[in-house]
Amino acid sequence: MPSHPLRVAVVCSSNQNRSMEAHNILSKRGFDVRSFGTGSHVKLPGPAPDKPNVYDFKTTYEQMYNDLVRKDKELYTQNGILHMLDRNKRIKSKPERFQSCKDKFDLVITCEERVYDQVLEDLNSREQETLQPVHVINVDIQDNHEEATLGAFLICELCQCIQHTDDMENEIDELLQEFEDKSNRPFLHTVCFY
Amino acid sequence: MDFEEEEEETQPPQVIDMTTSEKVVDLLNQAALIPTDEKLAVLKQVQELIINKDPSLLDNFLDEMIAFQTDKSIEVRKFVIGFIEEACKRDNELLLRLIANLNMLLRDESVNVVKKAILTLTQLYKVTLQWLVRSKAVSDMQEACWDMVTQMKGDVLALLDSENDGVRTHAIKFTESLIITLSPRTSDSDVPKRQEGDISLDKVPKDHLYIRYDTLCEEGKTALEKLLKFMVHPAISSINLTTALGSLATIARQRPMFMSEVVQAYETLHANLPPTLAKSQVSSVRKNLKLHLVAVLKHPCSLEFQGQISTLLLDLGMPQSEITRSTPAPREQRKRPRHEPYTEGKKIKIEPALIEDDEDKEEPAPITAPKPPAAPVAQSAIDLTAEFLHPLLTSENVANLVLISMVYLPDVMPASFQATYTPVESAGTDAQIKHLARLMATQMTAAGIGPGLEQCKAREDEAGKEDGTGEDSGGKDLLIKRKLPAVMVGQAISVVGGYAEKPTTDAPAAAVKRLPEPILPSAQTKIAGASGRKKVFRLADVIQPLSDTQTENLTSKAVNRILHSEKAIAQSGMSHVRVKLLSRLVTQFEGMMKGDVLEFILDDIRTRSDLAFSLLYQEYNTYLSQLPAGLLDSYDHCLYTLLSGLQEKPEQRDGLFTKLVLEAPIITESALDVIRRYCEDESRVYLGMTTLKELIIKRPSRQFQYLHVLLDLSSHEKEKVRTTALAFLKRMYEKDQLRDYIEKFALNYMQLLVHPNPPSLLFGADKDTEVAAPWTEETVRQCLFLYLSLLPLNHRLVHELASVYTEAIADIKRSVLRAIEQPIRGMGMNSPELLLLVENCPKGAETLVTRCLHILTDKVPPSPELVERVRDLYHKRVPDVRFLIPVINGLEKNEVIQALPKLIKLNPIVVKEVFNRLLGTQHGEGASSVSPLTPGDLLIALHNIDSTKCDMKSIIKATNLCFGEKNVYTSEVLAVVMQQLMEQSPLPMLLMRTVIQSLTMYPRLGGFVMNILSRLIVKQVWKYPKVWEGFVKCCQRTKPQSYSVLLQLPPAQLTSVFERCPEMREPLLQHVHSFTPHQQAHIPASIMAVLEANKKPEPKPVEPVPEKEATTEPIPSPPATEARPTSASEPELQVEQSAIIKDEDEPMEPEQPVPGNLEESVNSVLQDSTREPDTPSPQPEPCDEPMEEFQPEASDHHEPGKDDEAEPTGPEAGSGSEDAE
Repeated sequence: MPSHPLRVAVVCSSNQNRSMEAHNILSKRGFDVRSFGTGSHVKLPGPAPDKPNVYDFKTTYEQMYNDLVRKDKELYTQNGILHMLDRNKRIKSKPERFQSCKDKFDLVITCEERVYDQVLEDLNSREQETLQPVHVINVDIQDNHEEATLGAFLICELCQCIQHTDDMENEIDELLQEFEDKSNRPFLHTVCFY
Repeated sequence: MDFEEEEEETQPPQVIDMTTSEKVVDLLNQAALIPTDEKLAVLKQVQELIINKDPSLLDNFLDEMIAFQTDKSIEVRKFVIGFIEEACKRDNELLLRLIANLNMLLRDESVNVVKKAILTLTQLYKVTLQWLVRSKAVSDMQEACWDMVTQMKGDVLALLDSENDGVRTHAIKFTESLIITLSPRTSDSDVPKRQEGDISLDKVPKDHLYIRYDTLCEEGKTALEKLLKFMVHPAISSINLTTALGSLATIARQRPMFMSEVVQAYETLHANLPPTLAKSQVSSVRKNLKLHLVAVLKHPCSLEFQGQISTLLLDLGMPQSEITRSTPAPREQRKRPRHEPYTEGKKIKIEPALIEDDEDKEEPAPITAPKPPAAPVAQSAIDLTAEFLHPLLTSENVANLVLISMVYLPDVMPASFQATYTPVESAGTDAQIKHLARLMATQMTAAGIGPGLEQCKAREDEAGKEDGTGEDSGGKDLLIKRKLPAVMVGQAISVVGGYAEKPTTDAPAAAVKRLPEPILPSAQTKIAGASGRKKVFRLADVIQPLSDTQTENLTSKAVNRILHSEKAIAQSGMSHVRVKLLSRLVTQFEGMMKGDVLEFILDDIRTRSDLAFSLLYQEYNTYLSQLPAGLLDSYDHCLYTLLSGLQEKPEQRDGLFTKLVLEAPIITESALDVIRRYCEDESRVYLGMTTLKELIIKRPSRQFQYLHVLLDLSSHEKEKVRTTALAFLKRMYEKDQLRDYIEKFALNYMQLLVHPNPPSLLFGADKDTEVAAPWTEETVRQCLFLYLSLLPLNHRLVHELASVYTEAIADIKRSVLRAIEQPIRGMGMNSPELLLLVENCPKGAETLVTRCLHILTDKVPPSPELVERVRDLYHKRVPDVRFLIPVINGLEKNEVIQALPKLIKLNPIVVKEVFNRLLGTQHGEGASSVSPLTPGDLLIALHNIDSTKCDMKSIIKATNLCFGEKNVYTSEVLAVVMQQLMEQSPLPMLLMRTVIQSLTMYPRLGGFVMNILSRLIVKQVWKYPKVWEGFVKCCQRTKPQSYSVLLQLPPAQLTSVFERCPEMREPLLQHVHSFTPHQQAHIPASIMAVLEANKKPEPKPVEPVPEKEATTEPIPSPPATEARPTSASEPELQVEQSAIIKDEDEPMEPEQPVPGNLEESVNSVLQDSTREPDTPSPQPEPCDEPMEEFQPEASDHHEPGKDDEAEPTGPEAGSGSEDAE
């Protein structure tokens, strides 16, 4: 077991559903976890597919919640958005953008390939300083509540396994292969350096 | 947080140094004692205090801090490393003291500590170098320090081969940093802001006292070489590869001078992704590759390589538009103006740098991996080769190449290929051909072949001669060259399969010999002749494949040798190995061997059973390993052959057959057939069935299949087989789990009897079945064997029989009745089910029930319950008297008597049977049955049968049956019967018949009969015409004894006698005359008158007398006119009678001597009397009626007459009828 607790970041595009679900579960399991979005804005489903609710990363979950209640309480209750926001605001006050965070992690887990690409791009564009490695793993999760829950458990299991390795860097490859076989989905995995 | 607080606290007193120092002392003291987590916090405070706050304290507390490097906590040790870094950065002088510690920590047992140490060394290497470079004078200490750093650098580079993935990753990053440091920063270098102040080679003075610029430069190149080499390792992990790709990108951007190596490395990698990568890893790596290529592309210096890079990017799936977007605008100002015109021109066309080689050759010479000149050589070699290949790639050549390459394709598509394959869009275009040529050139150069390489080499050699250092470098170069291809080949084999064969002069021919991939003949026209032709030894080239038959022949010979080395191997104690080997071999290879081995086993199966078992299990194992698609055929064949072999062998008592059956993992259908055949062999039936039984019990999953075989055998035509099977089945029937199945089978089989013709099922499959064959006793029994043997075990089944029976045709019924005797007897009459059957007696099953009853009561008297059931049945449901017969001895006397009229009307044989039962004359042990009727009772009962209920004929027959039983109807019995009958009133019609018959049977009853006759007179026997007639007859027969009886008759009756038998008169008269006078005096005158007045037709006046007497009796006889005189004569008669009887007692004996006279007299009387009837015409009245009645009777009595005639032979007839029964 590594001597210090794993610093984990979970990243999706809007830091609302998938990353927050995983954030929720991981923090309950005692992980040192943060969550982020990589999008330029925070987008939530709107009354129609082409009319999303768009906020910037400075808007708190509370504000979004109130905004949506005002707009159409029934709709957003029914599609679970309000419930999600309610959960989110109890975890932290507002969404965070991965690109704006200069904190260091041991493990970054992304929730879709596009996000993974963005994370990689960002990490590689940063100037290297300490050369501290950070592993980036992509776990594809569809952006809906059910998949988010399932995905969060998968991520949690993955993190627990990694946390329990004696030498994470040496074993992570094999571990991921096992997980791929077990969960029957491919994981993209790479390493970047701070 | 703590820390901040501390700071705030400490800030006010900070004024005094002592306080900080004290604080540090205090914290250090604490740190020694507290657990790791807190320790780290405390140590961090100390670090802050002594490095940032008051660096003057650093020196004082350095030792104390460093002491923690031996702490058992990894985190603490890592902290110490961090501290060393910070401290050294703060005060470079400390390097002298701390570098050794870092060196120690670099060898720490924990990989995490090692990794941290590598990171720190990455920083400190630069720090040290900078420090030394800055120092005007270099001390010994500094020199030593630098030596150590250099040595540590070497150690870390060596860690590229570490076992640990993470360590390797860190080593790669170290190498990256090292390469950048040890190469000059140029104007086109990307320099991260943070690293602006970092040292690089260009800042190292070439005249430094201790540090040699050249050496450093060399080390940097060596490091790059190492890194490149590391990257092409075939088993590189995906993380290492990713890391290396990133490092190369960084290097390319910060040191554009290396860009060509980097791009080339990317190209090589793209064409040769390590085969060990998993699918998802391949996509991760490709993603990285793309990312880094874009990063490189964005660098202004990428212009020369844009063609290659964009081709790679296209291959990686990036749209052209995006590539264009990432391509920097051409930059006017360049570091090397010489190249600009060329390169730019090419950039715009996006062509591979084909013509560049010239410039490259000269210029970047000192860059490539093996040696300064190596890099450009590789670069230009590829270019040259590509250029050379381009025109050769005609459609025809390409097609040939493809065809040839087909042979070398791997069986399974490698994950990397699968992931990287993109359809070629621009096939056939010039651009694509160029790309192809370049790809091939990359491979070829990597494999150490191609004209480009040769040319470069030649050029180098020349350069070497010119140059002073030429020899050295040349020598080195050669060495490396030899080494490099070896490595490359090793890694490339899986994909490219290139080897160091030099191409021949003839380009197409060479192409044929070259291995897979698009490597084109690098027609070495220029140098080819010199290099000649080398051939690598390949086994496949020198050997010829064996033909199939040869192979087969050799294999089977080999197996045979193993097979027949039995004894030799046994002596060496390794027979188990042989057995295992054989079974493996035989199961793996099809063909003749299998048969040979089986035959070998069967030759002496007793000693080779272990081989047999091993083979069998091996076959089964093979089958299992091929599940679910596997076939049992082979296993089946093995088992079948073994079992058949055993079955066909004459005798064996070792139970091997059983063992084989019981230990075989699966019993196949055909094996089961063999078992069946085994069971059908009369000499082994017991063993076979025991085996079968074991199977049934021990293999519950298929027990019914096995059971079915046994069940089939239960109706086998061979009796021994059948009975054994039945015996086994009976035992199994006790088991609950088998019970139902057996029962169902038995019932189904019995159910077949319902069919009008026997179903073909009953005939063995091999027999030709005539569908319409009738039922035979045989086939019926076949259906019943099992059922009947189960019946005594489960009486309930009897009802099924009844229902089948009712539906069956008559033939079957008969067979069934014959077949059930044994089982029914086995059930016994106390069986509740049987009683129930009797009680219910289904319609149509009456005969069955009767048969059962007969069987049950055949030897044993019926139980009261049975009698009760039968009685009920008879009275309430089926009034068929035949039911009663079996239980007749259990009935009440009056019941029997009631039933008698019906009984005696039955078939004579049946009547005989009834009588046998009643009289206890059944053959054998019937003695125990106690008849409700005594023989006398029976006979009496027969006499008393109401003639309206039964015709006389049957009654007479019945009585005759009685008389037939001479040993039952003894004279005593008959006497009692007669006595009783005589006392009845009215007299039974057949009384006299019985008397006469008794007399015929037992002549010594004569006296008794006389007595009877006398008493009949008292009873006025003449009032019963038939009896009277018999009476007369009897008298006639018994004369002269009967004379005294006749004399007792009243005159009228005597007259009647004489009318019937006139011949009697004379003898009687003479008899009277022979009396003493005294005796004669007793004869009434009226009698005498009758006796004597034969000539006078006087009977008339006499007649009325008896008739009058008769009237006194309530007999409605016709002569009712004269009733008076009788009253007087009656008492007389009675007196006379009694007197005569008294007399008779004596004369009984003396009578006999007289016969001679009597006969004569009778004869005369007869003669007379024959005339008589004719004359007395007035008599018809009284005579007529009796005559008429008698006449018909007489005619009726034709049979009785016959009976009479037959009587002497009666016993014989009786015995005959018994026999018939």
